Amino acid sequence: MYIHQTYCISAQQDLLQDDIEQINEPIDKKLLAIEPSYEKIPPGILRRMGKSIRMGVGAALPLISETKVDGIILGSANAGMDDCVKFLNQMVQYEEGQLTPGSFVQSTGNVIAGQLGLITKNKGYNITHIHLGLAFENALLDAMMQLNANASNSYLVGGVDEISPFHYNIETLAGSYKSEDISNKKLYESDSPGCVVGEGATMFIVNNSADGAIAKVKAISSLHSSDLDLVQQQLKSFLQKNLAEGETIDLFLSGENGDNRTLPFYQAVESIAGEDTAIVRYKHMTGDFATASALGLWYACQFLKNQSLPGHMLKRQSSKAAFSNILIYNNFKGVQHSFVLVSAN
Amino acid sequence: MSRIFITGMGIVSAVGNSVAANHEALKANTCGIQYKLDLFPSKYAGLLPFGLVALSNEELLKALKVTESGVTRTSLLGLYALNEALADSKISTEEIQSFDTALIGANTVGGMCLTDELYNDANAKTDGSDYLGSYDCASVNLFLQRHLKINGVINTINTACSSSANAIMYGAMLMNNGYARRAIVGGTDSLAKFTINGFNSLHILSNEICTPFDEGRKGLNLGEGAAWLILEKEEDIKGKNVYAELTGYSNANDAYHPSSLSDEGDGPFLSMQGALKLAKLTPDKIDFINAHGTGTENNDEVESRAMIRLFGKPPAFASTKGNVGHTLGAAGAIEAVYSILSLQHQEVYANLHFKNTIPSTGLTPVEWYTKMPVNHVMSNSFGFGGNCSSLIFSKV
Repeated sequence: MYIHQTYCISAQQDLLQDDIEQINEPIDKKLLAIEPSYEKIPPGILRRMGKSIRMGVGAALPLISETKVDGIILGSANAGMDDCVKFLNQMVQYEEGQLTPGSFVQSTGNVIAGQLGLITKNKGYNITHIHLGLAFENALLDAMMQLNANASNSYLVGGVDEISPFHYNIETLAGSYKSEDISNKKLYESDSPGCVVGEGATMFIVNNSADGAIAKVKAISSLHSSDLDLVQQQLKSFLQKNLAEGETIDLFLSGENGDNRTLPFYQAVESIAGEDTAIVRYKHMTGDFATASALGLWYACQFLKNQSLPGHMLKRQSSKAAFSNILIYNNFKGVQHSFVLVSAN
Repeated sequence: MSRIFITGMGIVSAVGNSVAANHEALKANTCGIQYKLDLFPSKYAGLLPFGLVALSNEELLKALKVTESGVTRTSLLGLYALNEALADSKISTEEIQSFDTALIGANTVGGMCLTDELYNDANAKTDGSDYLGSYDCASVNLFLQRHLKINGVINTINTACSSSANAIMYGAMLMNNGYARRAIVGGTDSLAKFTINGFNSLHILSNEICTPFDEGRKGLNLGEGAAWLILEKEEDIKGKNVYAELTGYSNANDAYHPSSLSDEGDGPFLSMQGALKLAKLTPDKIDFINAHGTGTENNDEVESRAMIRLFGKPPAFASTKGNVGHTLGAAGAIEAVYSILSLQHQEVYANLHFKNTIPSTGLTPVEWYTKMPVNHVMSNSFGFGGNCSSLIFSKV
């Protein structure tokens, strides 16, 4: 499967900003998305959209408002959650009285893909994967399978999640976020539990044509486990299966997020990646959330295209002059693991 | 593409807590929808009818021997039906935990059945309940993964009321693409104050027992339940009970309105047509359609019109929403079990509470329990967001 176009909305105006002093810092411990003006969304509709819907539709339309795709495949852990609690609050406050259905209709997890189908009049395959930290990876896998069945098709694949106030409260109570205020420049030195929360929307156009592609998604694998050995084993067999004899990983794109509870997993994966593999981190730019790995794939695409990356993203240099094979590893809450292997065309 | 067979089924619904109980209830025209709501306090208790599973949370916890805290009714119903499906298929613990066994489940309610806890946690009014990790829909399959120690691909799908049809489809795709050798697929949803008020705000809940495809239909009744299928490949089914073959599936979008179907029913038409194409069947080969048939003004008329558009004269069809209500994320899986029962026993079940045809379509659903040859059954599921899916099961 080949990636041809990308678009993303994230906490940074420029996700490839070289100067670490110029990157946006968390505000109130949150790396909030810098939203564009959404010129392609009709104003009447835009006004009624919750943030994740706005970001998802807003990131997709630049790619599919003019180019027709054969289907829409999204991953989102919590799309609609904000409207869900808005409706819930209305229900509790008005004691199940006469409620307006607006929030209820927008509260279903499939709301972004549904809106995109509606706005672009796309009657093709339309699905939303919501499996938390593997929602985007399942969307990616789905697209690969759709392309195996329908070789000449193109699909929109993406991942979207927002920091909704209600979800933020729940995750804060659950201890998912750092309790201390921390600069994202110091994120990886923090040695404390929790991450800095982020949000965003990332979209890709994928098909089977190598012609003019930015990157190739070679393989995806996922696992649920809190067993470090099992994760290492799975990675070894993944690499064995998907790398040719003598082929190595040039760049390891790590989902390291400053949470000292998941750091051992990232370190274990680093140890397998190879001695001359560059290690790159991105979550100090994006923050972490269930579908942040979609931004990881966006980064892999840019690195392959530009063959350069901001210095502050590097955890370890490599002697290689160019990179082709990129391994993306993401760990969500210590239990959901994903490996994505991406290469230059 | 390898052939995919169903070797195990499990179900819990308003008409019974096992496949056998559901089968007897369908044959006997049993309606499980009642003016009774004791799961939580609600002003609609006694005023609106619901299709509740006759097992309390305490009974479920005890029967399932679940001691973990923070497990929701949605998860418990899911595990209850899943245990039956796993035992029925006789797949071993080793196979369940093998790296090539996938678990693909759908639900739309997740932990939203816990209105008070969610209200307090989401609005930061407490120090946190036991359910902080249980509100999102993925929590159900994460619980099942932990409980059964599943190592293969795991996914949760939400396409509203067509969710579990897509879970079945995704499991089959994983098997066809070499990502799984077998797949556990299905869905679960529990009744929630949230969904009652949501559907009520759209004025599509009937205060009477629902009457799918009837001229005087007044809306849907909400239900709850869960169902799972065990999908296995041709090479793995020797010596096993094989209930049916999954021969067709398709997903399309109606692209018309967030919460209602287009007049022409493009989405339903395309999903039914796509499933036929994959199954390499002409429309005349379908003997019976398990219709989505929710009992709303919009759905039943549009679904009828789309059936007429595709089939000319549609085959025998019926909705089982009059038995169990609309079980949302579980509906596609529950109705898959009912479709397979029709194939297994060569019979079709009555569309309950039907009186008069909708004048504009002139279609009459199956009115009585009938023994008849059934070789191919189509099952439809349509949802908010224009998400339409159709499955085809075939006799083995």
